[in-house]
Amino acid sequence: MAGTDPRARAERRSAGELESEVLAALWATDRPLTPAEIQAEIDGPLAYNTVHTILKRLYDKGLVLRDADGRRGAYRPAKNAAELTAEAMHEALDRGPDPIAALQQFVTGLRPEEEKALRDLLAGGAG
Amino acid sequence: MRFDVYTPLPLSVLLALISPAIGSRVAPALAARVLTAAAVVTAAATCWSLFLLAATLVGDAPPIVAEARQDGHRLAEPVPEVIGIAAGVALAVLLVSVQGAVRADRRTRRALRRLCEGHPADTELIVAASPEPQAFAIPGTPGRILVTAGMLSALQPAERRVLLAHERAHLAHRHALLVTATTLAAAANPLLRPVRGTVAFLVERWADERAADAVGDRATTARALARAALSAEHPRPACALGFTDRAVTRRIAALQTTPPPHLWPLAAAVLALGALPVLGAADATDDLFRMLAGVLV
Repeated sequence: MAGTDPRARAERRSAGELESEVLAALWATDRPLTPAEIQAEIDGPLAYNTVHTILKRLYDKGLVLRDADGRRGAYRPAKNAAELTAEAMHEALDRGPDPIAALQQFVTGLRPEEEKALRDLLAGGAG
Repeated sequence: MRFDVYTPLPLSVLLALISPAIGSRVAPALAARVLTAAAVVTAAATCWSLFLLAATLVGDAPPIVAEARQDGHRLAEPVPEVIGIAAGVALAVLLVSVQGAVRADRRTRRALRRLCEGHPADTELIVAASPEPQAFAIPGTPGRILVTAGMLSALQPAERRVLLAHERAHLAHRHALLVTATTLAAAANPLLRPVRGTVAFLVERWADERAADAVGDRATTARALARAALSAEHPRPACALGFTDRAVTRRIAALQTTPPPHLWPLAAAVLALGALPVLGAADATDDLFRMLAGVLV
């Protein structure tokens, strides 16, 4: 079955989805990343050329900066819009449970005994 | 009119009671849809029944009573006056409650639109430069995914992919619409509040299953949830809503077993249960019209 082949799954990702994944990888770390480093930070095999194409698109949109921190060929995310969004998000969250609590947040809070069980799960897993 | 007008009330309680069991036994995509449909229909039937009960007061209005006496009609008294008044008051309170829920929904949408400002229109992912781990889907056309830098740095590459696939599933299957519909249903009929909670949980389970399909690995999906939950060491009070229901633990446990079957018969039973209050309300409507026709004509 094609669906069980991880390579086939990686290939199936659309350009928009890959853009999100590259941007997410750049935001996950504090240091600028080269395309090769980004390649390693993306789940599933992804051609070097594809990474390049996606980076160019993100650069054209003003979402990433090139040659960051004096490192030639390295990229890091542009912060301006993200900082404004963070401000607006905190403001909305601080206003109380009304607006954002109505959203489906990825995860909600834990009880202490749940916390221990989850730590055990992560320690026991292969990851 | 004597009994059927009251059927939406016990049926709402029944729907609320069985919803958690449906939620844990039936595939989340199917369970969320049928529970939402049943809740919306039941809430509408409840409000209509309250309206009918209040409408019986028309039969008690002095001019009508006088007119009926003149015409020699005998007034049917299917509903005690006090119940008619109580129904009218309840209906007014519920309408205000629905109005409040609609306004809260609009406020949320406005707050969400603000979060998208300054980001290119054709970009799916919006990152907030905040260390606080947060992630949610922003419905719209196109829908967006908001994730904080804090959440992204807490996850491994495969787990980031799970997170994005999860939020993408919320957008692709219009989960916000289901949750809004059940929120309005619960505002119109507070007996249905547990159904809203179940549907809110089910859309998370649904998105988890879709994410596991996309990444091809249930264990990685479970680990992504665990890592994200652990990274939020000091959850905001806003999260307190889900604080005691062990939602994350239950979602992880569900990912560690096989996905639940579709169980169409059980889903059909929920829909039938949702249809019963409508039948009761329709029958009561018929009775009321006949009664009023007897009085007014």
